Amino acid sequence: MNRRDFLKISLFTGLGVLMTGTLDFLANNLTASNLIDIAVAQGKTPSTITAAAIDALGGIGHFISKNDVVVVKPNIGWDRRPEYAANTNPEVVATLVTLCYEAGAKKVKVFDHTVNDPRRCYTQSGIAEAAEAAGANVHYIDKRKFKKVKIDGRVLKEWPLYTEALEADKIINAPIAKTHGLATLTMGMKNWMGIMGGWRGRIHQRLDESLVDIATAVKPTLVVLDAVRVLSANGPQGGRLQDVKRLNTVVAGTDQVAIDALGAAFFGIEGRDLGYVRIGHETGLGTMDLSRLRIKKIKI
Amino acid sequence: MIRNLRRTSQGLFLLIFLFLFIQTESKGADELGYPVRIFLECDPLLALSTFLSSHRIANGFLLSVILVVVTIALGRVFCGWICPFGTLHTMTGTLKKPSKKRSHTNWHKIKYYILFFVLSSSVFTAQLSGIVDPLSLLIRSLTLGIYPAVNYLTRALFDTVYATGIPGIVEVSEFFFTLAKKSILSFHQTYYVQAAGIGLLFIILLSLNFYERRFWCKYLCPLGAFLGILSRFAVLKRSVSEGCTSCGVCERICTGGAVVDESGTWKISECLYCMDCDDLCPHRAIRFGFTTNMGAVPMNLERRHLIASVFAGALAVPLLRIPPLSRTGVFTPTLIRPPGALEEREFITRCIRCGECMKVCITNGLQPTLFEAGLEGVWSPVLVPTIGYCEYHCTLCGQVCPTGAIQKLTLPQKETTKIGVAIIDTSRCLTYAYATPCIVCEEVCPTPEKAIWFERVKTTDREGNTIVMKQPHVDLHRCIGCGTCETHCPVKSKPAIYVISTGETRSQDNRALFS
Repeated sequence: MNRRDFLKISLFTGLGVLMTGTLDFLANNLTASNLIDIAVAQGKTPSTITAAAIDALGGIGHFISKNDVVVVKPNIGWDRRPEYAANTNPEVVATLVTLCYEAGAKKVKVFDHTVNDPRRCYTQSGIAEAAEAAGANVHYIDKRKFKKVKIDGRVLKEWPLYTEALEADKIINAPIAKTHGLATLTMGMKNWMGIMGGWRGRIHQRLDESLVDIATAVKPTLVVLDAVRVLSANGPQGGRLQDVKRLNTVVAGTDQVAIDALGAAFFGIEGRDLGYVRIGHETGLGTMDLSRLRIKKIKI
Repeated sequence: MIRNLRRTSQGLFLLIFLFLFIQTESKGADELGYPVRIFLECDPLLALSTFLSSHRIANGFLLSVILVVVTIALGRVFCGWICPFGTLHTMTGTLKKPSKKRSHTNWHKIKYYILFFVLSSSVFTAQLSGIVDPLSLLIRSLTLGIYPAVNYLTRALFDTVYATGIPGIVEVSEFFFTLAKKSILSFHQTYYVQAAGIGLLFIILLSLNFYERRFWCKYLCPLGAFLGILSRFAVLKRSVSEGCTSCGVCERICTGGAVVDESGTWKISECLYCMDCDDLCPHRAIRFGFTTNMGAVPMNLERRHLIASVFAGALAVPLLRIPPLSRTGVFTPTLIRPPGALEEREFITRCIRCGECMKVCITNGLQPTLFEAGLEGVWSPVLVPTIGYCEYHCTLCGQVCPTGAIQKLTLPQKETTKIGVAIIDTSRCLTYAYATPCIVCEEVCPTPEKAIWFERVKTTDREGNTIVMKQPHVDLHRCIGCGTCETHCPVKSKPAIYVISTGETRSQDNRALFS
């Protein structure tokens, strides 16, 4: 071939390579947060729908980078077995751990500041076993690691928070959807009580505002709401199988307020009926107006 | 050297004992998984006194027959080779130089008087043996005083290093701290009332070894006395050959004070079978072996002193029973017994105050009484919800109780066993008296059909605004008295919701409701 042909071939090959690289780059960064805000996956297998929901958001690689130290923060608050829907589904937690490692995370930690005895909660919920099998570092709360953090919220000025949660590179909130006497519903924003130390019961007195203050301070990378089973009455502890409803759903997104607003629909109410969702919307933490969000529904 | 064999045996049994002690703790599962009460169940003194006082015997105590048979055949080898409390005395005693003087022969009798006192009062249904029994005393002292103190000290040391924040040093220290947590430390620091007193008493008993070695074993131990009586016709005996020159070495070093004079007269009931004389006799004249020769001299107990102990034991019982508690239908509101506990009168005849339930209680809520259950009930367990509540699905206390004073409950039984009932004081509940939202009690109430429900009530605040308050109510039929509401109530020093013993399933009379 002569020099002109060679240059032509090289130029087109080079452009071709450049374009696939650009397309790839565009695909990763446009399809994800710019195209889908919330993914709602429905199906019989918790691990499959969890993975599907995150895939729809752009894949785990969009949230977790190589060598990240990740905290997956499930609800392990209560001494209840998985079928009672008081704690996050162990399969959902394990799937999140596996996905994080697939994205190249250096370490994935799983913990929660429980209400009942931590040994019973971790064991009976099935979460410790499932997460450890997936390779997570599961440990009990070490009270020495609560440090007073300045929060500068509407009602919370400072509160002891768990340093391991705050010092992680990425934190994934993994709550379960349940009813709650005082809060009406407990989902993602209320789940942050699991990184609070001190006598948390006191925040009940200004609950909605306190939850917004804490949620604002934490900034999760991702929120994955477990609605495989939901507790439709006598929450947040439950204890009767007839209060558990099997919805076989997992919701994933990055807007804490929006996820809770969407979750409210599972119980027949709206986001604005929940004080902390409304206040979160007003303060700009997120939006409860689901009509303005791109929500993708997946059925498996 | 038979002494080394004996020391190995002592060490081994002490390690097994301490291992089981440390395993007496929840790991999160429903069953404990270790035979933690096996030492107590081998104890024939506890078996006998529980049988005498309650006319029942728990199945586990059949193991004590083994120790009885062993002692009848071999003498007090339990004291010399097995007893963990005895081993601790032996170890403490090594810090004292062997004395040149003879021991106080008369004091040997005291333990027999204690034994007869305790057995006599058992016949009249007062269960006092556990207070002085060595195994019960050891477990109780370790549980309530020594182990929490060791934990506190260890944690304080590691926490101090941790707080310095110096990078390399903290990592190394935390590595060892994790090891300690996995092996010898308790899951969380435990706290008990009377801890200092019980710990101090234990230290004093060990310190007696500085006065004379194995002071407790020789002079005070009622189990030793019991085994001493059983050992009267043992076939494993100490024999002295003609090589004996009456040098008196064996008499001086005798741990039990059984060798009473230079001619080597040997009181079999006092011999702890430590075999020191076998090893240390300069003329190798002493041998422990199987023989039917009657070479032993019996313990000389004065009959009138024995009768006096029996009478004292018997008279103690009515003196203990005259307070009104549970005799005349008077109930103490704060005497909340563990779930599965028998009705109070029977409970008191069976509870040996070993402290196993307090050791295993997952929330540290079970505490030793002092006088709340009367003098007779001293050191029996009581639930103190401000310290720890009764975890809904936990049945561990019934699993570890050796006498059945606390029955082992199945999970369905546990969920419906009431130990009391919760009362709301509306004069200090935030939602009633201070127009402040709360209902933490409703949130933590574990019963599936909530025993705490809330009512929406219109009320006004200080500025005159109308607000809707969620106010809690207790459903007396559903409440099981677990106390988690009291533990979590934000009015920390004086909870606005608190548990009283009324309504406890185990009592026919201590109840408020008709059905």
